[in-house]
Amino acid sequence: MSIAEKFRSISPSEFFYRNKEIAGFANPARALYQSVRELVENALDATDAHGILPDISIAIERDYHKPNVYRIAVKDNGIGVPENYIPDAFGKVLYSSKYVLRQTRGLFGLGAKMVILYGQITVGEPAEITSATINSKNIYMYKLQIDIRENKPIIIERMLWPNKTGWHGTIVRVAIEGDWGKAKQKVLEYIRRTAIVTPYANIILKTPDGEIKVYKRATDKIPPPPRETKPHPHGVDIEMLKTMISETKAQALVEFLAEEFQGVGKVIAERFIKTYGFDPNANPKALSKDDLERLVKALREFDEFRKPRADHLSPLGAELIKIGLNTILKPEFVDAITRKPVVYEGHPLIVEVGVAYGGAIEPLEEPQLLRFANKIPLLYDEKTDVAWKVVSENIDWSYYGLSFPAPIAILVHICGTKIPYKGLGKESIAEVPVIEKEIEEGVRAVARSLKLYLTRKRKEEEALRKAITIIKYIPEVANAMTIFVKTNPEHIDKEFLELKLFELVKSKFSDAVRNISSLKDIAIPVE
Amino acid sequence: MSEGHVRKLVSSVDIRARIKACEKLAEAFGKVVKSVLVGEEPRLIIPKRTLSNTIYDKERGLLLLGPSTFERNFLDVRESKKFMQTLLMAKIIYEALMNNEYPTIRDLFYRGKHSIRYRDHKGRIEEENTWDEQKESDAVLRDIEVYVNLLREEMLILSKEKGKVVGDMRIKSGDDIIDLSKMGHGAYAIEPTPDLIEFIDVNAEFVLVVEKDAVFQQLHRAGFWRKYKAILITSAGQPDRATRRFVRRLNEELRLPIYILTDADPYGWYIYSVFKIGSITLSYESERLATPKAKFLGVSMTDIFGDEKKKPYLSETERRNFIIRAKKADIKRAQELLNYEWFKTEKWVKEINVFLAKQSKLEIEALTGKGLYFLTDTYIPTKIQTQDFIE
Repeated sequence: MSIAEKFRSISPSEFFYRNKEIAGFANPARALYQSVRELVENALDATDAHGILPDISIAIERDYHKPNVYRIAVKDNGIGVPENYIPDAFGKVLYSSKYVLRQTRGLFGLGAKMVILYGQITVGEPAEITSATINSKNIYMYKLQIDIRENKPIIIERMLWPNKTGWHGTIVRVAIEGDWGKAKQKVLEYIRRTAIVTPYANIILKTPDGEIKVYKRATDKIPPPPRETKPHPHGVDIEMLKTMISETKAQALVEFLAEEFQGVGKVIAERFIKTYGFDPNANPKALSKDDLERLVKALREFDEFRKPRADHLSPLGAELIKIGLNTILKPEFVDAITRKPVVYEGHPLIVEVGVAYGGAIEPLEEPQLLRFANKIPLLYDEKTDVAWKVVSENIDWSYYGLSFPAPIAILVHICGTKIPYKGLGKESIAEVPVIEKEIEEGVRAVARSLKLYLTRKRKEEEALRKAITIIKYIPEVANAMTIFVKTNPEHIDKEFLELKLFELVKSKFSDAVRNISSLKDIAIPVE
Repeated sequence: MSEGHVRKLVSSVDIRARIKACEKLAEAFGKVVKSVLVGEEPRLIIPKRTLSNTIYDKERGLLLLGPSTFERNFLDVRESKKFMQTLLMAKIIYEALMNNEYPTIRDLFYRGKHSIRYRDHKGRIEEENTWDEQKESDAVLRDIEVYVNLLREEMLILSKEKGKVVGDMRIKSGDDIIDLSKMGHGAYAIEPTPDLIEFIDVNAEFVLVVEKDAVFQQLHRAGFWRKYKAILITSAGQPDRATRRFVRRLNEELRLPIYILTDADPYGWYIYSVFKIGSITLSYESERLATPKAKFLGVSMTDIFGDEKKKPYLSETERRNFIIRAKKADIKRAQELLNYEWFKTEKWVKEINVFLAKQSKLEIEALTGKGLYFLTDTYIPTKIQTQDFIE
């Protein structure tokens, strides 16, 4: 049973209250990290998913009077929340009524409400939401709490003031119990990795230690926003089918299939129904439990549906990955590839791989792995992730001219409407053959490109080394030559001979020594 | 110091040698500088000092440097350091000549040894020495000798004196007259620049060169050179250049026959051949150092074992007492000598084959063991009189 499903039987708020570790709030350190994550991901979804270049600031402050209490404020310049929706959007844990699919950042689809609820449980202060939509005349502010049993917002305070500057966006302020000391590394790493995949964002983080981390926008290019899409028959399960039936307006099975699924037209729907012997005119809402089970099985089995489409997904693109890796890791070499879409259990999925080498990257005994799923950094459970298996077991790095310790980072981004996470924590990707193959092919592609770069670099280094072998002796040779130089008719000094010798080396090693402008760059006087 | 004062201290032959050496160095290295000034790659064309470029001139009986040369180009990565070292060495020698100095090869090594600092291809600052060991500076010195066609002695570079001479003879060394018959129990150490020696007069019929210093001293004290009118010389092992040049001049200029006495083993034979035809590593100097007419007096294998025409000098018992069993290295060396062109004469092939058959060697001292006067009054005079030597 999915989490959302479980919400049906008890109040979702109450469910969360009882199962907070599932949503990532197991302890104060993890909760602080999770809270920052949820709010930042909401902020990003409110901006880049709508074509807005994100300006996001995060402030985490320690409450000096209450131990372990932190105030988190996350501000974005997104589309804002319409005034009348603010209480429900932040104060009511909603069932997802939609069965349409969309690639989103939120792992649990619960977002800020979880944070507010957690804050309410641990600290008890109302959350403060300030928001203005685009072109809104006013800016609205709500202080609210959640009635856990009734699952509805309690409005503590409401304010509004004129939007004189034409601002739009949302600010969420919430106080929670946390543990900065233990969460610090993960939070910093989370923001850093987020910055890698959102090089088009300005991100400012103010930590409880008073540190300010600034990630400046490196490009104005935003990946195309993800779009909503209908489910593909191969990806449907019985719960989803029930939801779809309950919300469809279709009166007949054939109509339901043709309208509510992607990859199914009228003709294919009829052929499907005929193949499996269903009644085309049956009212889907009247199907028995057995019928539903049979239908799901058939839908997943039938191989004449059109392939799931991937054009509604939002991969980062090789260009953005390269910009992100360059900006944050400052390597000497970077490359990236976006693989063609593949299908995983009826859901389209795209794997992207980037490589960064050298420069400011610290040489380590193993490749540094930067994992992302739907643009979210995955920080925990690295060693159980399929991407880790690929870079540590499947790939023989020596084949690509690499020996460890090596300064290399591999970025793996998986985007899709269904990601096969391992376990409830949703921090690592399962070993699904199709995904493993995609990651491996991607890593091999960028590794080949790295190999080419390294080979070229070694050749250039070798030529430079040879040139320097000669250049370093020039002062000594010129000095000896002055003894034998005929001083008539004109006087010739050591510097002139040095220059002449240097020119000879330059013309012989043209390309390799292009960066050496003067003999003094190489030959250094010994005091 | 005034010029007049310098002339008093330094002999005039020295000064003439200096001027000549400076001119030749300036000419040879001036060419390289000129090529740099006109934008050509600086290179030295140097005769090769290898066995393959060593030619045995049968007619003249000399080991000579062949016609092969190699190019030492500064812009060639493999040669650039040696090019630098060669130029550095040339500069030091030139300066020493100009400053009236007499450096030894060790001095040249120290004068040129210093650090070069540079930034490597990875941007690290590194240091390296112009040279680390004397064998590096010695090697470029030899290159300069063949490149400029000047021996080190001619460039007033000194080496340790090793050879000694006594005899009824007067020479002028520097500005002094030296009587080689009045050296007491000692001997005149042959100076490193024997070309600057002037022969005044001589009263001798032949030259005897002995490998062993100890045997030389015994012969000297026993009055051998006086009694038999000989110039007595020792090389004290492998002969240095000065001793070889001195012996050559005695033969060439004073027409004195040269007899060489060594141990009866491949090492002794090679010493003889160095006197006679030159050494492989220094074949470029043979023309001036070798004495093709030098004769190998002994100790020969037939002296020990006798042959169809000759009674051995040692009895059966003496042989048993004095002969040393040849070592593996001796056998190997003897087989190598058989391959050298200049050992492919009837007498030498016989000598070496007897050695290989008997696998026995003998020191000269074995003969003095039989009695010092056996050596001075029987062995040496008989060998010379009966012309029992190998050429």
